[in-house]
Amino acid sequence: MMFSKTQANKAVLTCRDLMVGYKNTPVLNNINLSFEAGQFTTLLGPNGAGKTTLLRTLSRHLESLSGTIHVDDRPLAELRQAELARIMAVVLTDKVTPPLFNVFQFVALGRYPHTDFLGRLTEKDREVVSHSLAAVHAENLSHREFASLSDGERQKVLVARALAQEPQILLLDEPTAHLDLKHRVEVMAILRNLCRSKGITVIASLHDVDIAAKVSDRVALVKDGAITDWGYPEEILTTETVAELYDFNSACFSHHLCSIELRGDGHRGKVFVVAGMGSGATIYRMLAKRGYAISTGVLQSNDLDCFVADSLGADCFQQQPSASMTEASLQQAYAGLAECDLVIDTGFNSDGPYQNNLNLLKKAVTDGKTVFSLRDDNRAWAIDGNNSNIIAVKNTSHLLDAMEAIQ
Amino acid sequence: MSNTIKKDTVSFGKSRQPKLIFALLAGAAASMTAVNICSGSIPLSLPEVWSILTSPNDTTESIIVWKIRLPRALAGVLCGGLLAVSGLLLQVYFRNPVVGPFILGISSGASLMVSLVMLTSLTMQLSIMSPFVTTLAAIIGAYSVMAIVVAIASKVKSGVTLLIVGLMMGYLCHAATSVLIALAEKEQVKGFVLWQLGSFSGFKWNEIYLLIGVGGLLMVAVFLLAKPLNAILLGEEYALSMGINIRLLRMLILFCACAMAGMITAMAGPVAFIGLAVPHMARMIFSTSDNRILIPGTLLMGALVASGCDFIARSLLSPVELPLSAITAFFGAPIVISLLMKKKVQL
Repeated sequence: MMFSKTQANKAVLTCRDLMVGYKNTPVLNNINLSFEAGQFTTLLGPNGAGKTTLLRTLSRHLESLSGTIHVDDRPLAELRQAELARIMAVVLTDKVTPPLFNVFQFVALGRYPHTDFLGRLTEKDREVVSHSLAAVHAENLSHREFASLSDGERQKVLVARALAQEPQILLLDEPTAHLDLKHRVEVMAILRNLCRSKGITVIASLHDVDIAAKVSDRVALVKDGAITDWGYPEEILTTETVAELYDFNSACFSHHLCSIELRGDGHRGKVFVVAGMGSGATIYRMLAKRGYAISTGVLQSNDLDCFVADSLGADCFQQQPSASMTEASLQQAYAGLAECDLVIDTGFNSDGPYQNNLNLLKKAVTDGKTVFSLRDDNRAWAIDGNNSNIIAVKNTSHLLDAMEAIQ
Repeated sequence: MSNTIKKDTVSFGKSRQPKLIFALLAGAAASMTAVNICSGSIPLSLPEVWSILTSPNDTTESIIVWKIRLPRALAGVLCGGLLAVSGLLLQVYFRNPVVGPFILGISSGASLMVSLVMLTSLTMQLSIMSPFVTTLAAIIGAYSVMAIVVAIASKVKSGVTLLIVGLMMGYLCHAATSVLIALAEKEQVKGFVLWQLGSFSGFKWNEIYLLIGVGGLLMVAVFLLAKPLNAILLGEEYALSMGINIRLLRMLILFCACAMAGMITAMAGPVAFIGLAVPHMARMIFSTSDNRILIPGTLLMGALVASGCDFIARSLLSPVELPLSAITAFFGAPIVISLLMKKKVQL
């Protein structure tokens, strides 16, 4: 049962000039958003920005201060509670005190708006519960006591409970908090799948910018009492907006790599890394973590190393992709090299365009700098005679030990 | 995979055959009632009791059964059951497994109002309506304390704070009660002190009818609340998102719980721990939190436990009769402590 295209592009939830907050303290102003059927929207923003307040207003746990919210063209305020429960379900951050229910019974609580006055389950109700469990890959948990579940399993079951309401809209407040990586990825994949296959509109607040960027159809950035930006994650989540959103000082979101890099403070001096073709990425991170400032080059501007080095705030000598490094760019790199005492040879492939970078290493040796080489065979660039300042290392951990040893 | 799903649907709701446990509990409660009617200073056999019940006459035995033992046995069953259900409601409402009408000060509030009626000359003119007046007074007392506790509980979320608030309300009510005792006449104080120890003795038939009538209505109302009570186990926020009118539900829960606890306190005096311990015992025996099962289960369990405690109270050191609240505390407090130690306290 694939979700048909014709249903898409229809706003199921719309906010106009919405102001949310508590009593007389507005938290967010001028919210104009619309959420389409089958769309996954993520709210991103620092703690306390108002993501939860917005979600609670959309789910009618809080009254809006002004403006309107429409569900399927009907004002949210006019819906009866039971009616709303059949359209919208929530997964909250509140810890649920586990009742003595097995998972099936727990999920069956979600049938509340559909069952009779004693909550008796019909054949159809049981089917929906089973399908909800299947949708979160938790059929095998069905018989387990809810109290015995791990955090990750619990979260999946909470999503299943919400699905048992058969909602069109699913609101989730930090659904991946406290989860391990496996469950984090799994829960996100489940939610994404709900949008695609069932056409459910998912609105979630998340803290993982990287996961949000990969999963969401739309993102809304929440900061300083407003939605500062809204649209496609590919367009909105740039290095600058993310840095501004979270007031990053020592970290950087890489738009291309879609990940966060943590910058070091560089208190241990500058190291020049001769890298290329991805051979430097892990070494940069390791150096940044240990507190080294990094200088690197010459890299072609389409090299992975170039993106990582940029994100880490390294001095990165680069040039447009071409058959080999030009003399001009090497000259710039020499200047960078002169500022560093330690030099690292990452063992990059020296047959192709990076061949000329060997000259940087040769220069370092002649200038008497200490050079650590991860290359199996450094005769390719070693200079006859005085090679006492070249230290061959086998791997990155060995490299670290060697660096610690001489300082 | 479809097989496993089938199995789930079949086994759902059948954790530990509740029907069998219901039958056992009902049987045990009935037997305990029979034992209570048969035993005493003049022992009677079951056939004797049966013949007295079917054809009342003017013999001493008949008068003992009809005027003393039967009302007392029924009072035990009814009060125990209703008090336990009241505790269940409060535990679900506060989502706190260690609350009960006694702990939260509801019984103390009821006591205070009862003392006001019993110790002042208010009753003089109204002695004919006595059970109704004291019951009404007790319910008002219970409800007022509850309102204060709820108002404070909504400000502070922590469960421990709630208990402390309940205890403090209890102390305040006791303090006010003791002032009333100091001001009252000796004769009235005697009756009040006896009442305060808690007892199922001296129940009049019109009190039993009141318990059956009002208690029955309240039980029907509570059972109809079973579905939203289950949903509120997840917390009020989730309950709201499932379409529950939280405000109405809150009012109904508290009204039923206070009416039950207040009415019983008015008649039997403050009886401790039944409302706290029995819902846990029911949860353990049925191993479920499903209130559709727990409500009738707790009712039967409470009837059984209260009858048992009353039997112990009057037969342990016979002819001296021990205070009922002492027995229920001896029995209830260790259960609650052991539950807490095992961390088995769940809703």
